[in-house]
Amino acid sequence: MAANHTTHSEEPAKRHKHEGPRKHIVAYIFSMLLTLVAFATVIGGEINASFTYILLLVMAVLQVIIQMGFWMHMKDRGHLFPIVGILTGVFVVFTIVIMAEYWTWW
Amino acid sequence: MSAHSHLDGQLPHEPERATLEGRNKVLGFWLFLGGETVLFGTLFSAFLALRDQVGDGNPTSQELFKLSLVAIATVLLLTSSLTSVFAIQAMHRNQVKSMQLWLIVTVVLGLGFLGLEIYEFFHYVHEGHKFSTSAFSSSFYTLVGFHGAHVLFGIVWISLLIGQVYRKGLTVVTAPKVYVAGMYWHFIDVVWVFIFTVVYLMGKVG
Repeated sequence: MAANHTTHSEEPAKRHKHEGPRKHIVAYIFSMLLTLVAFATVIGGEINASFTYILLLVMAVLQVIIQMGFWMHMKDRGHLFPIVGILTGVFVVFTIVIMAEYWTWW
Repeated sequence: MSAHSHLDGQLPHEPERATLEGRNKVLGFWLFLGGETVLFGTLFSAFLALRDQVGDGNPTSQELFKLSLVAIATVLLLTSSLTSVFAIQAMHRNQVKSMQLWLIVTVVLGLGFLGLEIYEFFHYVHEGHKFSTSAFSSSFYTLVGFHGAHVLFGIVWISLLIGQVYRKGLTVVTAPKVYVAGMYWHFIDVVWVFIFTVVYLMGKVG
């Protein structure tokens, strides 16, 4: 039964629209570029520290949005639940980070 | 939505969502990933709070980190994320051989990443940066090592799935497993984005 599945190729009559690899390659290139900019900023070391921090965080957040959107399909239809779930997780994490820093150092 | 095509022995369009069990698996996995996010968040917060607590004479992050090594590891893991996307796309086209091939490439890239990380830790210990050297070193090894353990788990998991698909073929039972493993792999990659940003790059800036 299982073997049947593997031998079938696409029948033209009921072929579904399959997304090509192109937009995933574009997402990959964007991720690489953002990574490159982040590393180059630090290795170059010209810009002052606090601005570098902000720049690095922006690069990371952009990259995560691209990767989760395209590779984890969160931009597709019917992904409201995962989006709400992840945002809740991010909110909890931010609270934890701020609380831990505050408790330790102020 | 495409259960009709299952009647003539063909896999439905999105085999991971063809059965209720498959849909529940994907939903449950999102819940798991939410928990993982919080887990890594706590490790990150511990690291951020302790990263300057180096103690006297112990190596600081500026002295320790070699960005070239981290850059190569990042490229490996990013690329493996892309190849796992290709595996899922091949699954949606019902091309089992190509799916298996991309999964193998993903595993190999993951192994490369893991090898680099082991080498890196080895090197650090040699430099006097052991787990119990300082609060910085403990929180560093806990966070980065935990991520490495996740990579290792993913490698073992995907390898076992390759074997199972080889034996049982791609069905509505095996497809959700492959899909969910792909999600896991992307998540590991996303966590790494924050690790190289917060731990390595910000550590280098000081």
